[in-house]
Amino acid sequence: MELDPNVLHVAIRWLHVAAMATAFGGAMTVLALAARPGADSASAVVSVAIRYEWMFWAAAGVLAMTGIGNLAAFGAALLGPSTDWGATLLLKLGSVLALVVLSLPRTLAVARVRASTTPDSDSVTRLRNLYGASTGAFALILALAIWLAHGIAR
Amino acid sequence: MKLVTWSLATFHATTFVLAIVLFAYSRNALGAGLSGLNTFVGLGLFVALWATTYVTTSRALRGLDLISSARDRGAYPRRTLRWGAANGMSFLAILGAVALVAAIANTRPGQVTSGILVPFLFIAPIALVASAAVGGAVGALFGIIDLALFAVAGLTGEEAKPID
Repeated sequence: MELDPNVLHVAIRWLHVAAMATAFGGAMTVLALAARPGADSASAVVSVAIRYEWMFWAAAGVLAMTGIGNLAAFGAALLGPSTDWGATLLLKLGSVLALVVLSLPRTLAVARVRASTTPDSDSVTRLRNLYGASTGAFALILALAIWLAHGIAR
Repeated sequence: MKLVTWSLATFHATTFVLAIVLFAYSRNALGAGLSGLNTFVGLGLFVALWATTYVTTSRALRGLDLISSARDRGAYPRRTLRWGAANGMSFLAILGAVALVAAIANTRPGQVTSGILVPFLFIAPIALVASAAVGGAVGALFGIIDLALFAVAGLTGEEAKPID
């Protein structure tokens, strides 16, 4: 029995969106926890951040894998980089690459805070800034993805 | 499994693939390249690269504490060269095995030895050496990038002190 290519491509898109929701939603959750003034202990924020980092890297791998699958679905009909759509795709790919590169220091910073004896409010402030930047980058990439999917200048 | 190993391995695999995709697309060569690739094979190749990168990264980090020890961070780049080469060879071995099975399956039995196995045995050692060289170079490059990102995370040359 042969699998319908359309079903496969829909499944890959669904997986891509689910991974993005996990990564973006998780970053917003840690940011919201770290931004609450004194409501949560620093160790609780760090504990959630550590769990998020595990999920983030799993989601990053899935996003890269399924993102290329999404591009492959276009085949030879993939618009070139000289078009408006192509320029936006280049910007999105560059933004994703930058986010992945700058996420490693965030993960290492979280691991470093966990290794410290007692995380304090300064640590939480640092995490809040890191997750704020990550959330902003995710929002930009999501906006570019929506434009690519529904933009009119294709 | 450790978070640093998991994050470094996934960082290496995804960054490597994303950089290639970005470069190929900027040269308008991505559509033609991907159109000849079966979706399952493409997904499988990424998973294989991710898995070999995880195994080789965990071997490279064995016995090292990159968060707390400056000496361990100093030893890390040499290991990335060696284990990058191992990763290149491992990934090529998987790629070669898949290609070999597919070629044998699509060849008449009488032609398998002369048409597939002999050329394969001739090409395989050369390809392994080339993959080790490429893998080692990519591994060494990632070793340098990793050290720079460690510094961005506040893990500099001195022994990392707990944040207090």
